[in-house]
Amino acid sequence: MSRLPLLAAALLSCTAGAALSARWYVSPFPPPSEIRSAPGGAAEDMLALALGARRLFADIWFIRLMQYYGTPEQLVEEEVSENGGGLYLEFLPKSRHVLEIDPGFTAAALYSAGSLAFNLNRPKEAEELLGYALKYSPKEWKYLTMLAAIGYSKAEKPAVVAAAIAPILKDPDCPVMLKQLAAFLNKKAGNYAAAAAIYSDIAATSRDEAYVKNAKRELQILAGREAPAPAKGTAR
Amino acid sequence: MRPVLPVGAAVALNSFSESVRNRFFTIFAVFALAAIYASVLAGVMAVDQEGRVLADMGLVLMELTVLAYALFNASSVLLREAETKTIYLVFSRPVPRWAYLGGKLGGSLLTSVLMLAVMGLMHLLLLKLRGFGVPPGYAWALAGSFLKIAVITSFALFVSLFSTSSVSTLVISGVLWTAGHFAAETRFLASQAAGAKAAVLNAAVWLIPNFQLFNARDAAGAAAALPPAAFLSAAAWVLGTYLAALWLLSRKEF
Amino acid sequence: MTAPAVSFTGVEKTYKRPRLLGAEYHTAVKDLSFEIQAGEITGLLGLNGAGKTTIMKLITGLLFPTEGQVRVFGRSPSDAAAKARVGFLPELPYFPPQEKPAAALAYYGRLSGLSGPELSLAVESAMHKTGLDLYAGKRVFEFSKGMLQRLGLAQALLHKPDLLVLDEPVSGLDPLAIHDIRGLLAGLNSEGRAVFLSSHSISEVEKLCARVLIMVRGTLARTVTRAQWEAAAGGLEAIFVEAVR
Repeated sequence: MSRLPLLAAALLSCTAGAALSARWYVSPFPPPSEIRSAPGGAAEDMLALALGARRLFADIWFIRLMQYYGTPEQLVEEEVSENGGGLYLEFLPKSRHVLEIDPGFTAAALYSAGSLAFNLNRPKEAEELLGYALKYSPKEWKYLTMLAAIGYSKAEKPAVVAAAIAPILKDPDCPVMLKQLAAFLNKKAGNYAAAAAIYSDIAATSRDEAYVKNAKRELQILAGREAPAPAKGTAR
Repeated sequence: MRPVLPVGAAVALNSFSESVRNRFFTIFAVFALAAIYASVLAGVMAVDQEGRVLADMGLVLMELTVLAYALFNASSVLLREAETKTIYLVFSRPVPRWAYLGGKLGGSLLTSVLMLAVMGLMHLLLLKLRGFGVPPGYAWALAGSFLKIAVITSFALFVSLFSTSSVSTLVISGVLWTAGHFAAETRFLASQAAGAKAAVLNAAVWLIPNFQLFNARDAAGAAAALPPAAFLSAAAWVLGTYLAALWLLSRKEF
Repeated sequence: MTAPAVSFTGVEKTYKRPRLLGAEYHTAVKDLSFEIQAGEITGLLGLNGAGKTTIMKLITGLLFPTEGQVRVFGRSPSDAAAKARVGFLPELPYFPPQEKPAAALAYYGRLSGLSGPELSLAVESAMHKTGLDLYAGKRVFEFSKGMLQRLGLAQALLHKPDLLVLDEPVSGLDPLAIHDIRGLLAGLNSEGRAVFLSSHSISEVEKLCARVLIMVRGTLARTVTRAQWEAAAGGLEAIFVEAVR
């Protein structure tokens, strides 16, 4: 008995599988031409694609970004600050690389844009990054909110910027750096209650000891500031 | 009426029992240790993204662990039964070759399902102990991993019927695994190419399963839900490679 | 007239081994014709490479003839109905080391289409017939060579086959085990089963078989009946040596 019908059925079935996936699958990821590998990172990018582990490798790239930003660049004391003072010229390419691997990594995009705009004072780069992020997540309202906040920051209106990024703070995945920024802006604008609420949230939920320590310290300062001073010569 | 256990089911259960005899469950202990180690690292390095890193690392580790076991098993099971002459005792009996092959594939897939389920529970327990809930789309991620493993296991069984050793089967299957994850990129390159290069790339698009279709792990949020086409596509690929393997097995001599 | 248990008509089997350029061909058996009647014990003698195992595998459907025709109870060896009537014991059978004999036999019983109480009875009966019930609690890795052969024989008996095909059933066994196996086979034959066994041991074949086929380099050199070798000076050994030289 001929076995050719078996082989024909096999090919037909595989072709049907291919046709189904061609019809239904639309890649949510940037094409390979858009991936600009960091120096020494091409092999890891290939591995990310080969293993279908984009999210994991994006996590690794993000950890590296945080380590890069957390490492003092210059040894001159007055130029080094706790919040990453320094040039960090590779911050934008590294941030963009995280999104090239996983465009759905919203927290990384917000963290990077926030750092660029509000800590490194490079709002143009922050806007460029958010523009790229929006290309693959056009419905992500947090990016639009962030862009608005960056716009307001140029007008140097801390209260307005704080109000603009307030909706993002409610998201459980909101980067703690943005929360801290919002608390700082509220404090600068004199909204101490709002600042205290945000610092309390950081102290309760963040796993980063540095941010928690800072939040507790700020809460103590705010508590001292808010305690009513006894009026001179007035009995209460 | 007496319950009758079909021959294929008998082969499948026997195949599964062999995995138990081979103490495949020691892999769970290795996975648990690796996951705990990863959680300590993630806690230190990822800080506020610890939940995401733990979830991603665990899912990748699970998939690769089950993949390794499934491929190792599928690449050697038929060869081993031929070498030990166990297959003589099978095919000298009225056992249809389609039932035997189906049983071997079924047993392997049953083992994979059990491994994913147990490691998934271990992973969720670790996440809970670290204070995190079930990541969104978790069940879809596991389902997607299973679909990928089902396709590659069936393919490995097919390759094992004509390759000269289990190592070469492993290598060929590994190449297909990585090529399958590049399917979208291959399609993109095919659309940009011309002439013979385009023809080769288009042929590759049709002959290589698109594992990204099943890769719910890498999707975000609601996008993680696997469409019905993913299940149908996986079924078509498994059936296709099973039929190709049967075509080879039907006239194979021992 | 009932069909013979086994019928070979002009059978040739050529093995093809693919090489880098082309292929290598080796003819294991050529122009082979013989019959084994139902209820007969037939022996198969020959030097290494004579084609004995090839013949056994052709009968059990593990190999397909390149030319000619093989029939088992009038049907193709690949036919399920034919396979259901054949029990095969290969040389040096393998069983999973951690299994107990009943579990190993139950698996093969299911493959033979048995289930439920019928399966349990068949396993019990096969173990009793082969003397394995004394070792029911042991695992396969604890078995001696003789016990492994008994287990191999037990799996061949599960489905009460009409034809037993045994490849070197007493190879490597001690005299007591050989005696027991011989008794067992004689008993099975007395139940009406045909037995076809290959062996290097001429004395064993002499004691058990009614007829012997002598293979020399892939061809059937001689067919000898009991009456013929009993009448010959030097017995079966002398006939065999003359045939192979």
